[in-house]
Amino acid sequence: MPGQPDLGRADLVSMLAELTAKPADQVPDRVGSMELAWLVHLVEQRYDRRLDLTDDQLAGIRTVDDALAVFHTSLTAPADG
Amino acid sequence: MTGAENPQATAGWVDEVLLAGPAGDVCLRLPQPVDRGTLRRLVGEAQERMTGAGLRPGGAVALRLPPSLAYVAHLLATWRVGGQAVLLDHRLTDHEVDRALHRLQPQVVVAPVRSGGGALRVFVDVTAGVSAWSDRPAGSPHAVIQLSSGSTGPSKVIGRTAEDLVAEVRRYTEIDGVARPGERIILLPSMVHVLGLVGGLLYGLHAGVELCPPERLSGDAVLAAVAAQDTPATVLGVPFHIGLLASTVPGGPLPQLTRMTTGGELVPAAVARAFTDRYGVPLGNMYGMTEVGVIGTDLYGRHRPAIAPAPGIRVREQDGELWVSCPANPYVGLADPTRWADGWLHTRDAGVVDPDTGLVTIRGRLDSQVSVGGLKVDLTEVEATVAGLPGVTAAVVVWDDGISAYVQHDGALTEDALDRLLAERLAGFKRPRALHLLKQLPRTTTGKLVRSVPSLREAVS
Repeated sequence: MPGQPDLGRADLVSMLAELTAKPADQVPDRVGSMELAWLVHLVEQRYDRRLDLTDDQLAGIRTVDDALAVFHTSLTAPADG
Repeated sequence: MTGAENPQATAGWVDEVLLAGPAGDVCLRLPQPVDRGTLRRLVGEAQERMTGAGLRPGGAVALRLPPSLAYVAHLLATWRVGGQAVLLDHRLTDHEVDRALHRLQPQVVVAPVRSGGGALRVFVDVTAGVSAWSDRPAGSPHAVIQLSSGSTGPSKVIGRTAEDLVAEVRRYTEIDGVARPGERIILLPSMVHVLGLVGGLLYGLHAGVELCPPERLSGDAVLAAVAAQDTPATVLGVPFHIGLLASTVPGGPLPQLTRMTTGGELVPAAVARAFTDRYGVPLGNMYGMTEVGVIGTDLYGRHRPAIAPAPGIRVREQDGELWVSCPANPYVGLADPTRWADGWLHTRDAGVVDPDTGLVTIRGRLDSQVSVGGLKVDLTEVEATVAGLPGVTAAVVVWDDGISAYVQHDGALTEDALDRLLAERLAGFKRPRALHLLKQLPRTTTGKLVRSVPSLREAVS
């Protein structure tokens, strides 16, 4: 996949809205471990590939923007196998 | 009373109820198979390490371990020594753990010296370190101590005896729809909390059900764990996990999948339907509490949202609150007749009991406790913690489809600073997802803090 993946902040917010049953404009910016697991899962489903994230990468994610940056890094890395 | 009652005599239940069986039988798949002979050896080694560090019968062991083979071995070893296991969720902060250790005075603490395996692991590869902590006996005769988020700030301490745990394990064997000997449980809930501990680990070991945590927390990994063996598999989880599976497209047929069972909180009907439409197997529902374990079930999804009381458990409705039979006071150091009296636990859950069928419908909490991914959090604990931070002059914490904190401060506090302070004091699952800093919180004409969510939202905007 050349360049940046077509994954935007709005995509992550709408995924969180699905989890929390809130309108997108009321989704909190802060994400905990459950929200993060949910985002990783849905991003993996969407791109049909595994995000190989490290504990440190996950531990550094506190907000939706943090998550987006880490997912972009992972999605632009060459896929395994 | 201090110290475990007849600790030596009670220790035999581990061998009899949990560890019995042929040495070659597989009891855990991580995914490498762990057989009973190996588990018995690991338990023996853990016993030696802990007694070498000062554990004696009647003493307590604080287990601060993530879900791991080390946790299983040290938990069973504690009981085999005749000790009391204090289960500390590995997500608790140092601040929360220190408070628990000073209150419960374990003789030894078991914590990871190394853990690995990567992110989002359900089971972690851990090397455990054992260190001496105090030389006092346990403060109560319970086999297990669990902490529950408390309404007055610090955690509530809940104790259960070995007899009570064994009774719950046997209760599971009488429930139609649980995994049977030779089958598998795909284990998702934490084994520090009652569903994963008794409904997963202890029942599985007792009944000869293989426990198979998925390689990581994702829908694909759960399905891979189901597909890994030919034997029937029950997925045990909390409502969050239903969403994971409902949003995963299986790569092919999964004839091994028997059912999914969840506890923790009510499941919205649409989520339940999305799951059953996709997988065509029953979605079971369980209701339980740390204090008594499983209270009722609906493992075929026939009565949703109602549940039928588990064998030997009586449930009654008293002034709109559900009361559950519980022979002994489960609270350590707390004699509160509004929580437990005369063999009845007052659940603080609103609900009704159908006089004809005996089915129980839970309507929600009567207090400030909420469930976050199956973990109970008392909002007053969070509020007391926020209000006690430097720079905070008042705080209101409410549930607004997530924990939300409204914070009145002295002018110098930033959201980032507040977030950092909370991260030192509260485990992640207890921390507010939304922080709102205000110069002035809304108050009633008599000066009381306003708690209505719309009024608080309006104050922010």
